[in-house]
Amino acid sequence: MKTIVITGASSGIGLETACTLTKKGFNVLGVARSEANCSRAEEKILSENPDANITFFLADLMQQREVHRVAEEINKYLNERCDGELYALINNAGCVRSWYMTTEEGYEQQFALNHLASFLLTYKLMPALIKAHGRVIMTGSESHKGIKVHWDNVKLFRRYNPLTAYKQSKLCNILFAKGLNDRYAAAGIRAYVVDPGLVNTDIGNKETGSLVNLIWSIRKRYGVSPEIPARTFAFLCEQEIPPEGLYYCLCKEKNYSRQVTSENADRLFELSERLCDIHYGRVQMI
Amino acid sequence: MNVMITGAAGGLGRALANECGRRGYNMFLTDINEEGLLCIKRGLERQYDVVVAAAACDLTNPESVDKMLDVIDKYGIRFDMLLNIAGLDFEGGFIERDREKLVKIVSLNNAATLRITHAILKRRRPGKPFTIVFVSSLASMFPMPLKATYAASKRFLLDFAVSLRQELKRENVNILTLCPGGMVTTRETLCSIKAQGFWGNVTTNPLESVARNTIDRALSGKCIYVPGILNRVLSFLGKIIPRSWIAAVIYWRWNNAQSKWLNNH
Repeated sequence: MKTIVITGASSGIGLETACTLTKKGFNVLGVARSEANCSRAEEKILSENPDANITFFLADLMQQREVHRVAEEINKYLNERCDGELYALINNAGCVRSWYMTTEEGYEQQFALNHLASFLLTYKLMPALIKAHGRVIMTGSESHKGIKVHWDNVKLFRRYNPLTAYKQSKLCNILFAKGLNDRYAAAGIRAYVVDPGLVNTDIGNKETGSLVNLIWSIRKRYGVSPEIPARTFAFLCEQEIPPEGLYYCLCKEKNYSRQVTSENADRLFELSERLCDIHYGRVQMI
Repeated sequence: MNVMITGAAGGLGRALANECGRRGYNMFLTDINEEGLLCIKRGLERQYDVVVAAAACDLTNPESVDKMLDVIDKYGIRFDMLLNIAGLDFEGGFIERDREKLVKIVSLNNAATLRITHAILKRRRPGKPFTIVFVSSLASMFPMPLKATYAASKRFLLDFAVSLRQELKRENVNILTLCPGGMVTTRETLCSIKAQGFWGNVTTNPLESVARNTIDRALSGKCIYVPGILNRVLSFLGKIIPRSWIAAVIYWRWNNAQSKWLNNH
């Protein structure tokens, strides 16, 4: 059975994707922060499909030591039960913040969770992914367009604007996917970004201020059900031959920002490697 | 520039450490939370080209402070700036609360701050200007029922800092007192600011600009920094309205906010 890791799997898009993938016969490992939400999610998944293979791991991925810890737990699980193979990693966990808040390392929280956590977790799970010729899928957003990475001020320390920070973190997701393909395509790894569209989830209502909360409460009513993006994730996981594209919406390839170049991806890799104190290799074409 | 930061693993401490890193200052960080301290030290070293030293310390314990000072003296470190950030608060009525927790507010916010300030002043770089920042609060401007001990401890810092500033002017030392409204530093502060509703929102200051302005103002010799125009108006009103009236209004407001906050938990 093929194993898939999904972060942020206890609610919203992550939960729906976990549900869909268990129904298709994948073994799903969910990562989420709150124990209560995890057991609720597990109940929902099992109620829809009593034979589902679902295991939850608890971690607050915003904090790097938590990423290290949970990655070790997952690797142990994979080695014991899955021959050390991970078929897909879905980096879905994300957040919105109204104010400039920092993680333990002093990194801005949206950048830390939406980008750096995926960057570090993917690195830690890379051996298992390479073994299975796996796929890495990020939950992106159409909002990655119309912005450049603020290289001199990535953490947006001056004039923090929640929306700019969010847009930038989503651009980082797609640059990360681009960089992964540049480095690991030769090893059989493929990375994708899914644009979920406007989805009715609670992302803008968690730990945000009144204004963001209010705007999101109104806006999410026009959103689609999380089942819609879940189908795109399932599509990318199910294809026997990995699709060639990078950015997908409604199971179809889509155009992405012109900022997404190998040069910018390299720059992001260099910066993120420094902030995570790791070093991604580059697999040479044989 | 060598900067000593207490409470460096907390929200405001981290923001100020980041700001110092951005300016290229070397830092000596301390906090009671050792794990958090190592995290922020790592984060700063990865981001900026600065030297960061760190030692965990319980500032309310004289022996713990002596141990840290031994480390400082062993390396002969001399400082140009001290940021007194460490502080704490427990909300709620005076008689409902644990006795020792109440005393702890004063022993950290006041006694420990005096202890470290005295020690670091003795270890300032000779013949160079020296800067100290005390973190008081908007709460120091008013009598605050239900936050009585906290507000009074912050008032102590404000008055102490302004007096000490005058005393040490001739020694080329400047002292800035920061009196912020709420700042979103942790999940808990976010909840309590939300519970205060409208007033919580409008008195909240953005952490990143407070950190930047604090250092700017401290270096340019300012005395008190109240961030935000509305907070400045409120602190002015605190000076002209009779204190018993203010206490009544604040009691009414906090009572509402705290019962809302408690209901959510």
